[in-house]
Amino acid sequence: MKPVTIETESVVITHEDVDRAHDRARVSTARARRGFSSKARLLWLLVGPGVLVMLGENDGPSMLSYAATGAKFGIGFFLPFVVITFCMAIVVQEMTVRLGAATHRGHAELIFDRFGPFWGWFSMIDLGIGNFLTLITEFIAVRAGLGFFGVPPWLAILIALVILYAALMSHRYWTWERITLAAATFNLIFIPVALMTHPNSHAVAHAFLTWQPLPDFNKDTLLILLADIGATVTPWMLFFQQSATVDKGMTTKDIRFGRVDTVLGAALAAAAAVGTILATAPLFAHQMSAGNFEAAQFAQALEPIIGRFGASLFALGMVEAGIVAAITISTSSAYAFGEVAHKPHSLNLPMGEGKSFYAVLTLCAMAAAAIVLIPGLPLVYVVLVVNVVAVLAMPPALVFLFMLVNDKEIMGNLVSPLWANILSAGVVFVLTAAGILFGVSVVAPNVFAALGAK
Amino acid sequence: MAPKSKPQSFAAEQDLVLSTLEHDQLVKAKKHPIPRRHLKGPELAILWALRIYVIFMMIVVAYQFWIAAR
Repeated sequence: MKPVTIETESVVITHEDVDRAHDRARVSTARARRGFSSKARLLWLLVGPGVLVMLGENDGPSMLSYAATGAKFGIGFFLPFVVITFCMAIVVQEMTVRLGAATHRGHAELIFDRFGPFWGWFSMIDLGIGNFLTLITEFIAVRAGLGFFGVPPWLAILIALVILYAALMSHRYWTWERITLAAATFNLIFIPVALMTHPNSHAVAHAFLTWQPLPDFNKDTLLILLADIGATVTPWMLFFQQSATVDKGMTTKDIRFGRVDTVLGAALAAAAAVGTILATAPLFAHQMSAGNFEAAQFAQALEPIIGRFGASLFALGMVEAGIVAAITISTSSAYAFGEVAHKPHSLNLPMGEGKSFYAVLTLCAMAAAAIVLIPGLPLVYVVLVVNVVAVLAMPPALVFLFMLVNDKEIMGNLVSPLWANILSAGVVFVLTAAGILFGVSVVAPNVFAALGAK
Repeated sequence: MAPKSKPQSFAAEQDLVLSTLEHDQLVKAKKHPIPRRHLKGPELAILWALRIYVIFMMIVVAYQFWIAAR
């Protein structure tokens, strides 16, 4: 199909503009009306990037990490701790909403334009490598989750890829977003699984109110804390939410709903994370050593407690976590590449107009999927490397984010007020410090131990 | 009939785009990059600290890859 290009006196309008305009027209119509139902419709229209990024962050490795936490520590300190990490994520992700709505540029594009080609390409390559490694772990989760049902690895990977590409086929951001949101809501499946274990409500309430019982603060626990804090926000989240905000066509008028979207996403993701911890807490009560379990092993271990149906839900939750993260992460890579290489980059593009965008998206996913199918590959080491890369890659991304959101030349009166800067600087500092300490613990564990950990 | 409706649909789409999108949301408007930021002392210091951090990060990641490969 020939691209729609209309020349006016000084403005050239493309197919992507037309598609985005149709989406925006619905928002304008809803905004013009009064009443609760029109506000609800406006929320429905504007929800998307925030919920996707937060539920996408509840990816395969994250859900596995929550499951291992529940199995190792039971009901206690980590329940409120996880909620606090999502609060930190809200502070960080809100900045990307403001940046995208104010500048209509993606994160990689802004870094490139404001700080130069070196930092632009560095950010993109850094993101690309981290994303690729993370994609491998997502397909590992899909393979393990569907393996619980006896699905062979090649078929599990094929199912994941088909779902990924099905969402893309519409060549409409709106349709892609709704399909992915529908898939992402399955992340909440861990809540009914948690309820099936009949958690002690008094113990849960006690944990949230008092953060007790505390874990033993030894070196292993400290490493888990550092890794969890450092992995609260990963680079792809910054790039994805800002680019999706731009692709969705959000403007400064939508920032309030963008914040609601982000908070809603964090609340849903935190609920799913807490649910996962509660779901595997019985393994702690049974003193089962589940520290190195894979997804299917958790489901198998839970089967005597919650039955085949409950264990199946758990395994399906792992599959969903992997698939949705694979979709959002590969899309963030494609956005970043297009922004830095100055190629068309939008989910509104037909295949012919967005060749490089769709090529990066599909090749990333297919290459990661292919690696998972190599027989005998020690994938557990990939997971270890991904943890380190994700945590270490965060500080540069956070520093640029903080500098951009306080850049008066591009943000105008949307720069952060002082109280917000203090809050976000605090969060950036905590996340950066956790990342650096985690890095030190990897290369020099003796130094790390000498810093005070037993 | 068909040729007459085409210019009308183009005009309608043009009106829709120009009335609903802000100028800098248009694809062609984004061809113009945002100007480079003029960095002051503290900002330059931050970027130099970042360069040192990037070297540290590469060492750690390379070490981790080496450990994993062994």
